[in-house]
Amino acid sequence: MRVADKMQFEQVKSNVGKNRAQMAELQNQAATQKRVTKPSDDPLAASRVLSNRIDLQSNRQFSKSLNYAKSFLEITDQSLSDLSEILMRAKELAINQANDASANEESRRVVATEVEQLHNAAVSIGNRKLGDRFIFAGYKTTNPPFDEHGRYSGDAGEMNIHIEKETFIPMNVPGSRVFLGIGMNREGLVQKTENQARTIEEFQEQMANAKSQPAPSNETQAPALRGPASMSARTPEVSSEPEAEKELQGVNLFRILKGLEISLRTNDKAGIQDSLDLLDDALSQVVLTRAQIGARGMRLDNLTHTLEKAKVENQVSISQLEDADIFETVSDINKTESTLQATLQTSGKLIQPSLLDFLR
Amino acid sequence: MSRIWSMMDVGRRSMMNSQTALQTTAHNIANKSTEGYSRQRVEMVTNEPIGHGKLRIGMGARAGLVTRTNNEYLEKQLEREGAQLGYLTGRSDMLRRVEEVYNEQVNKGLNHSLGNFFNAFRELSNNPESLATRTQVKETAENLAKDFHRVTHQIEEIQKDADFRIAVKIEEINQLTKEIASLNEKVQMVEVTGVPANDERDRRDELIKQLGQKINIRYAESKDGSLTITAGNTAVLVSGYSHTELTVGSTPGRDGKAEGSFDIFYRATENSTPVNVTSQLTGGEIGGLLQVRDEVCNGLIGKMDELAYTLSEEVNRAHVQGYDRKGRAGELFFTHLGDKAGASKVINLNERISEDVSLIAAAGEPGAPGDNRIANVLSGLQYKAVMDDKSATFDDFYNSIVGTIGIEAQRSMTSAESQKDIVSQLKNIRESISGVSLDEEATKMIEFQKAFDASARLVRTADEMMDTVLNLRRY
Repeated sequence: MRVADKMQFEQVKSNVGKNRAQMAELQNQAATQKRVTKPSDDPLAASRVLSNRIDLQSNRQFSKSLNYAKSFLEITDQSLSDLSEILMRAKELAINQANDASANEESRRVVATEVEQLHNAAVSIGNRKLGDRFIFAGYKTTNPPFDEHGRYSGDAGEMNIHIEKETFIPMNVPGSRVFLGIGMNREGLVQKTENQARTIEEFQEQMANAKSQPAPSNETQAPALRGPASMSARTPEVSSEPEAEKELQGVNLFRILKGLEISLRTNDKAGIQDSLDLLDDALSQVVLTRAQIGARGMRLDNLTHTLEKAKVENQVSISQLEDADIFETVSDINKTESTLQATLQTSGKLIQPSLLDFLR
Repeated sequence: MSRIWSMMDVGRRSMMNSQTALQTTAHNIANKSTEGYSRQRVEMVTNEPIGHGKLRIGMGARAGLVTRTNNEYLEKQLEREGAQLGYLTGRSDMLRRVEEVYNEQVNKGLNHSLGNFFNAFRELSNNPESLATRTQVKETAENLAKDFHRVTHQIEEIQKDADFRIAVKIEEINQLTKEIASLNEKVQMVEVTGVPANDERDRRDELIKQLGQKINIRYAESKDGSLTITAGNTAVLVSGYSHTELTVGSTPGRDGKAEGSFDIFYRATENSTPVNVTSQLTGGEIGGLLQVRDEVCNGLIGKMDELAYTLSEEVNRAHVQGYDRKGRAGELFFTHLGDKAGASKVINLNERISEDVSLIAAAGEPGAPGDNRIANVLSGLQYKAVMDDKSATFDDFYNSIVGTIGIEAQRSMTSAESQKDIVSQLKNIRESISGVSLDEEATKMIEFQKAFDASARLVRTADEMMDTVLNLRRY
């Protein structure tokens, strides 16, 4: 083949250029430690990196939400633990005052005052706050849900928290359930974990259903200030419930305490004995709720692990997709460097001699 | 005596021939690096011998033609492959820039803003009473809108830049056709005398190659040596000695072309109406630029519009079902978008919300500040398949845009790379035929120099012989 000078120069130019470009690319990889610095470097990887990043971003938020929900549940649990202590104390007092052997009208009057204090303490537990939010108020978190008589002004709202792609977890227990027993009897222990609507259509459907069901009448919440406590302490059933599910009945804690107090004041021994059973119901109502909260807490703990693992996995796969294998890069650099040197050396030899150099 | 004279004459002419050849060698060496130059050779022809009885005495040589060493077929192939290279480089240059708009490997982009936006609703759902979380929703929504505007704006900038480059290329094309037309004239005038117009043809071949790289052309040579060049199917750019200029102009939008983008016009004669030939120009750099500007960029803007529109519609649909911090029914979250087209440019947070964040409706019922049901619905929207006939989430949709543009950029870059190899291979072959080799020229130089020396010696010998003859008398 005839070799023209221009060919040689072009060849040298393009070879040196190619080697230099490769070297620059590798150097960039070594400096950024990234194999993919723009989508076209590896489109598939770039798009997967993006979806991993968005997952990572959401997971970070989920962790944050999860911690928030956890602290909400913890303070709820703490409050309920305080509440159950109050009920225990009330029961203790009631047992002591239930017979004439250890109690009399005088002692009952004294104890009545303590029970009144317990009632008030229970109300203040019902009005506990986390930050600026009343934790037992359902959705109506900005106003104290209970007045001094234990009348509830909150609602039955459950605040669901988004803690995993498809998972919502309720972080509060509405006071109406744990204090007043509304809804307790129906759902009991096996309460379904969440009822968050996923789409606006679902939400509208829920709202429509809620409207068609009669709301628990507000009258029943009024504490009975007279008469035997047992008469009205039990929260009435929603009429359509089948008999079998009535085993666990919700009770109104405030009414029980108030009933006990009245019985004590009026020296009503039978009333005091009645309230013993009721206090047991109340305690199990609180304990059941705590069990529920504990279960949610467990779930959150598990999810914390899952999320932490997912975050690490996200990062690992991002790194695997876009990071340069530094050993490979360095060995490629060495290879390219020696190629470049060879190119330059041979280029010098190729270009330099010409016949003209020997025509002296 | 006549023999001596003729000897002297042959010597003299041989000296002149050597000079001619050396001059051509010099021309070759000088044009060693000229793009498109073909080495030239003086074709030496033996002179008609003179008969003296039984002797036929050679009368030396004369310089016939100066010809160029050139393979026409190869030139044509080079033009064709060069046009393809032009198309691919024009395209990949543009795609590289388009890709940069979606490059989230280095910068945080729409993907990130979208994630932040939904995360803000999660934060809102954690604490819907708080003004701080509401403000966060507002800020992320505004950022998201801005990011939509940014992406579309950057793509439009790229389109404008393509227009600018097209205008420059058209100007270059007009210069090229002008020069080709004048070369047509020169070639014709030289060749009518039967002499090949080497340098003019080389230049013209080179210009054709340059022209082909910019725009798709067809060309044919007529018998008199002039070229007729047609761009696309109907735009005759060069015919004989005359050339016709192309012009660009901003035109209203139509299907597949954005409002205000340039179209390319051809005017057959001075007085005829300009014809829009844009759709015929599918090759060369201009073809590549047009393809990216119209198909790729407008396609992307369409996708961004779709994303912005659906996002705004879905968020609004949920938001108006809710109730705000003060128990009022939810308003539109994003301002109402009448039309999908252009949505990504005008998507914006409802102004009233950006002034008063308590208008953000997180609640499902009035008078319940802790109610976060609507915030949760919106938070869950990120994982709902609402795009592409309800088969993809917002993230999927956006990521697939990035993936697609990545693939397209990558493909066009690799094919431009391999096309470059093809062209440089062809150029090598061309150089091996037509290129100048210094060694070769040096050899020729010595050869002709020696010939010159020898011829000069011949003249001197003839001169001495003549002297001898003239001095015969003295002895």
